[in-house]
This record gives sequence, structure tokens and C-alpha cells, in this order.
Amino acid sequence: MPRTLDPSLLTDVYGQYLTDDLSEGLTTLGVDGSPVPGVASAWETSVDAKEWVFHLRPEARWSNGDPVTAADFLYAWHRTLDPKTGSEYAQALSPIVGALAIATGKAAADTLGVSAPDEHTIRIQLVAPTPYLLALLADSFMQPEHRATIERYGDDWTRPGHMVSDGPFVLRELIIGDRITLAKNEHYWNASAVHPTRVVYYPLDQITQVSRYLAGDIQFADDFPSEQFRYLKGLLGTQVQTAPQLAIDQLGFNMLGAPFAANRNLRLALTMAVDREVLANKVRQGAEFPAYTLVPPLPGYTPALPEWASWSDERRHREARRLYAAAGYSREHPLRVQLDYDTSESSRDMFDAVAAMWRTNLGAEVEPYNEEFRVLLQDLRLHKSLLFSDDWTGDYPDPYTFLQLYETGFDENFGGASDPEFDTLLRTATNESDVAHRYADFTRAEARLNDDAVYIPYLYRADRHLIKPYLKGWQLNVLDRIPSRYLYVLEHAGN
Amino acid sequence: MLHFILRRLAVAVPTLLVIATLAFTLLHATPGGPFDSAKHMPAAILKSIEAQYHLDEPLWRQYLRYLGDLLHGDLGPSFQYRNTSVNELVRVGFPVDVLIGGVALLAALLVGGALGLLAAVRRDTAWDYLPMLAASLGVAVPVFVVAPLLILVFAVQLHWLPSGDWRWGEPRYLILPVTALALPYTAYIARMTRGAAIEVLTSPYIRTARAKGLPPGTILLRHALRPVLMPLVSFLGPAFAGVLTGSIIVESVFGLPGIGRYFLVGAINRDYTLVVGITVLYGALIIVFNLFADLCYAWLDPRVRLPR
Repeated sequence: MPRTLDPSLLTDVYGQYLTDDLSEGLTTLGVDGSPVPGVASAWETSVDAKEWVFHLRPEARWSNGDPVTAADFLYAWHRTLDPKTGSEYAQALSPIVGALAIATGKAAADTLGVSAPDEHTIRIQLVAPTPYLLALLADSFMQPEHRATIERYGDDWTRPGHMVSDGPFVLRELIIGDRITLAKNEHYWNASAVHPTRVVYYPLDQITQVSRYLAGDIQFADDFPSEQFRYLKGLLGTQVQTAPQLAIDQLGFNMLGAPFAANRNLRLALTMAVDREVLANKVRQGAEFPAYTLVPPLPGYTPALPEWASWSDERRHREARRLYAAAGYSREHPLRVQLDYDTSESSRDMFDAVAAMWRTNLGAEVEPYNEEFRVLLQDLRLHKSLLFSDDWTGDYPDPYTFLQLYETGFDENFGGASDPEFDTLLRTATNESDVAHRYADFTRAEARLNDDAVYIPYLYRADRHLIKPYLKGWQLNVLDRIPSRYLYVLEHAGN
Repeated sequence: MLHFILRRLAVAVPTLLVIATLAFTLLHATPGGPFDSAKHMPAAILKSIEAQYHLDEPLWRQYLRYLGDLLHGDLGPSFQYRNTSVNELVRVGFPVDVLIGGVALLAALLVGGALGLLAAVRRDTAWDYLPMLAASLGVAVPVFVVAPLLILVFAVQLHWLPSGDWRWGEPRYLILPVTALALPYTAYIARMTRGAAIEVLTSPYIRTARAKGLPPGTILLRHALRPVLMPLVSFLGPAFAGVLTGSIIVESVFGLPGIGRYFLVGAINRDYTLVVGITVLYGALIIVFNLFADLCYAWLDPRVRLPR
């Protein structure tokens, strides 16, 4: 169940899926998840790539027939940034000049670097060149909002019958804990291109989705337990669809003290002793993908793969053992440390396997220890964990959303890693207006990170879907967002 | 009788207060808060959210505020579902639980009772062995195994019934969840009824009735049934509590919009008000049901005198 349908407040992926259907930003998602013109029909950028001008299409309409104007966007963005609104994702707007200061209560709302010269034009000033701006504009926190509706209904504005939206669908029915029904928005400017007349979302856990799908009661299952991958693949064949997601499963080292901070050999030995192929293909049954570096596959980006990634297991293990010995450990004097992870059945299998690899390949005694997510999070924020699981989902398709994890002082840099050289490379990259140069700098930064072995990447998470063969009009993508408007159902017998 | 009921209800108030206090304290003592997230939030925004939910106040004041609202029947706003009150979640979800739980309990009583009686009357025949074997299985196999099995057979393989979902007024959506929930209780009740019936049927007064030449049906219904029902009634209280917790599993497996699912997710997400609210509600229900069971007990057995 999404926590809310209010684009300014929602934080979960489920809410994002619904927003993709209900709402349309300046850009919107193409069938492959890449940004395409939405309410904005065209745009241009300045030479330094820090100023963008968007031209809104005059035919864009709200679901009540009102025209969508520049003011609707400005109203929504100001509302998201206003600390009084309590938007948990407000700082996602931080690429815009002044946004961060407003969100943190340090500046007045009118200092935001956004203006509307006329009803159908929006000018955005950015702090730094932000090549992924077009993707950001399709995200929930950048959607326009219908001011009159919010002012009339207050907190209740997202209820069926109240909610006014500007996307391909409108909210028809919301039964908490059971289902959310959307109907085609007849006022949508591009309504003729919207295939389904009705979309029903069921908020179900993984296992329940599988049984509903197998019973033929739903046509698309958003997720299934990874341990059922092989079974489902055998049963359903190509109905089982997986693709890498914009997310990394990694382990973090505490870089603020012993035993890891001053011992690169030890960190490198541990990361090299992990057999990723086994984790991906045996533990996860091939439902996920081995990761040797931080940034998941992104179009146009060359990841900084460490050289040892291509070595044979034997050679890699030998080198790991050499480094482990050089770090001052042996089978007689093994490393003894606890690996903290958040509670779930599937992560227990994972970390039992990793601990076994370290025991077999190095002789290290690592004890997986599970804590509830919020308890672990608190430990991490206090830098209490020495070795910990640290999964991360990117916010936008750009290497920076991953690399910033190891920037000095970044809030989610739970290990406390700090490398001035790395920070400089990131700063240079983020100020670069040319995307190719920007990516090259990021690759260099990533290489430095791997060289220093401040973390252990091990898997790229995957979107896992079950899709009926007669359901067409989808394309899996790293954002794992499949807009309903493109979906269509072929004539078929049975279910 | 009225005096007894009133006194029991009067004791219920401090009991519920203790339940609310314990739940409130335990939840707040658990590390992590409802608005913790893996992604950092600016302090100004967190502050604003906490102010909206009064989380910025000292704990004792939050507690008093909560109790004050509770006395007015206001369970507070949900933390995980923003813009939604716990009262609304209960109003939408609870009727679903009442229906499923009620039908399941009733079915368990009728079917279990009948099977138990049958087994006792036809003792040491196939009528005894088969239902009792099934009952042993029913007691041993947990709901989280039975429910997916039912779906596999009746929804996935046979396509007779829906695999989940909920439509008011359409009984076919009720059948599988109720069956899953009722099975272990049916089994338990069958075994209990059989045991009690065998004891009663071999007792001297039944022998006397037989000696007087009364027909077996009359003996069973007029003389034996009441004492047989006694242990069942005392089982009703715990059974009801079991149905409530069992419904949490049934709801998630079938994806039903009851409150059990919120309870589970709420605890993980530190949805303080939601979890305390549902705990208090469950507590109140169990108190009422135990009272009801005691009243039935007194009605069934004239030897039981309700304390004045």
C-alpha cells in the first residue's frame, strides 16, 4: 500500500508507480523508462548547462478540464520545499538553485531559482550542470499540483472523487489494504495514445502476488521471492522477466577505526575472497547479477571494473590469501568480526554464504548478525557497526547517486570513508557540463574507490516480474518503472 | 447477573489502560522512529513532521495526549499512511476481520462439534478414526501452510475460487480464507467434543436414562449435549484470540483488507498509534469474549454461580 498519493509526500516506489500513471511532469516516461516530453513539448539549455527553459504545451489539461500552467508547477515545487509540508524527499530538488536552503528553513520561498515568464514557460536555474534533470522532472516530487483542490480539501485531496491529476489516468477507487483502481483520464491531452481504460493495483506481498498470478487473477506480478526464481522459470518460461535495477547490494567497512580503517590489505582480501558468481547464480538462483564495482550498468557509462574481476577463482583466492596474511591474519590468528545486516530470510542465506566463503578461502571468522532494519539504521548512523550490509537504490540514472555514498561527510556514508582526492574528482565531475567528461571523471573516482577497497560490492539487484504472454507494451528498465499507458492486451484464450 | 457484567466491565478499564501503557512504552522504547529512512532528511523537515505528529513533545506528554484521545475513542493519526487516521483504518478493515473470524469460529463450532459427537457415538469405528486422524492433522498443520495449499488446489489448479481479494456480498471470496482460518479450530473442537462426549456418555446418569428406555437421540440432545458443550465454551475465549492472530496470516496470504496486516507492517514501521490502537482493540475484544464465555458457562451449568 502506498503511504500516500500526494506527490509532495510520497516516498515509496509503489507511490511512484501510481504517480507515473496519475500525473505528468514537464517530462514523462517513455516506454523504456527514459524521459520524453510531457507537459513540456520542448526545451533548451544554456551553454553552461545550468539554465533550462521549458515550453509547456497549451493543450495540457487537468482531469477536471482546467489548463495545466507554469503556476501549477511552481506551486507544487514550493509546497514540496516548504518545511511545513513535511516532505521527506524535499531535498531531491536540491539541484535547483536555492532549493536546499529553502528545504532546510534557511531561506525564503521566493529565493528558488525557478520562474515563469508566462503561463506556458518555466525557467529553471541549476546549482551545477545536471544531465539527469530530464529524468528528475518525471519523478513524483516534480509533478504539478492542482492548487484549488489542495486548498479546498486539505489533507483529503488525494481521495477518490477529490483528486485532480494531469496524467493519463485518474483515481477511481481506493480501498485501503485491498486495491486501487485507476480509470483513463478523458481530459488528458494525449488520451488517444493511452491504451488501457482501467488499471487495478493490488498491494500484495511477493508470495501472494505469485499465487494470484498463477491463478490468473492478475496479469502482472511486480515481484516474486528470488528463491522461487528457478521454479517459476521452469513453470512459466519467458513470463519470468528480470533486468538489472538501479541498485547495489554491498557491504560496508567502518573506516573510522580498527580493524579495517588502516588496513587496506585486509579490506582487499575480504572483497576478493567473495565469489560473486556463486552468490548470483547459486544463492540467488540467477535472479540477480554479480557486482564487482559500485555503479550498476548505465547507458554511456564505463564502470571502473577492478582488474581481479576477470581472474580465475583460484588466482583471486590465492591473491586474497596473500593479502590476508600481509594484513597480519592467519588461520591461527583469524579476523573475528560481526557482520550486521537487516532481518530477512533471504539475506540470512546470503550472509551465511559470504561468511562461509571467508572461512573457506581465508580462514576468517565472520559472524552474520541480524537486526531489524530501523535498529540497524540507528547503529549505522552512530557508526557503531564495523562490517555491515548497506544496500542502496539510486535516485536517478547517473553515477553520482551511487558515488556520493563515499563522499566525505555524506549522510549515508555509514562507514565514514574520507578521501580528499575522491572528493575532488566528484566535485570536478559534477561541475562538468559535458556528459562524456563528466562520466570519465566519475569512472576515475570509482576506480579510486575500488583501489582503496572501502566497500564490498557483490550483487546488482534485479527487477523481477511475472508478465502474461498476452500483455504487451512494456520494456524493463533500470528505474523499474513500467507506465501503464503503453500496456495493451492481445486477444487470447484462457488466462 | 447484571452486577457481574458491570463489575467485569469495570475491571476491564484498568486492564485496557495497562495494555495501552505497555504497548505504548514498548514501542517507544524500540530503537528507530516512524520517520527514519535510509535516505537522509533535512533537520527542518524532520522537525516539522515530528511537530505535526507531536513527536517533538516529551514522552509523558505524548502518553497523556494519547490516553486523552483514546478516552474519546480517537486512536490518532497513522504514521505510515499519511493523511489517514487509525480510526479510519479500523473502520475499513475491522468489519472484514469480524466477518471472516466470526464465520470461521461458527463453522469450527458446528463442524467440529458434529464430528466430535459422531466420533464419540460411533466410537472405535471408521466414523471415529477418520475424523480424528484428520483432526490430528488439522491441529498439527499451521495456517501458513494450509492457506497457500488451499490456494494452490482450489484457485491455481482447479480455478474454482478466487486466489484472494475481497468483495463485500460475494461469498466465494470468503470460502478459502474462512476454511484456512477455521481448520485448526474445527480439528481442536472435534477432539475436545469427542473427549467430553465419551466421558458424559459413560456417566451414571446417562446409563440411567438408557435404562429407562429413552431413545438415543433424546439422550444425546436432551441430556448429554449441555455438559459436552461446557469445555467448548471455556475454549471459546482463547479460540477467539487465536482467530484474531491467525487472521493476520490469512489476511497476508489472501491479500485481504483486514487490520491484521496493518498490525504487522505497523510494528515494523514504528507506526506507534496504529499498533497501540489495534492492541487495545484486540484487548477489548478478548475481554468481551471471555465475559461472554463466562456467561454461557453459567447458563449451561447451574452449578456455576457467578460471584456477586
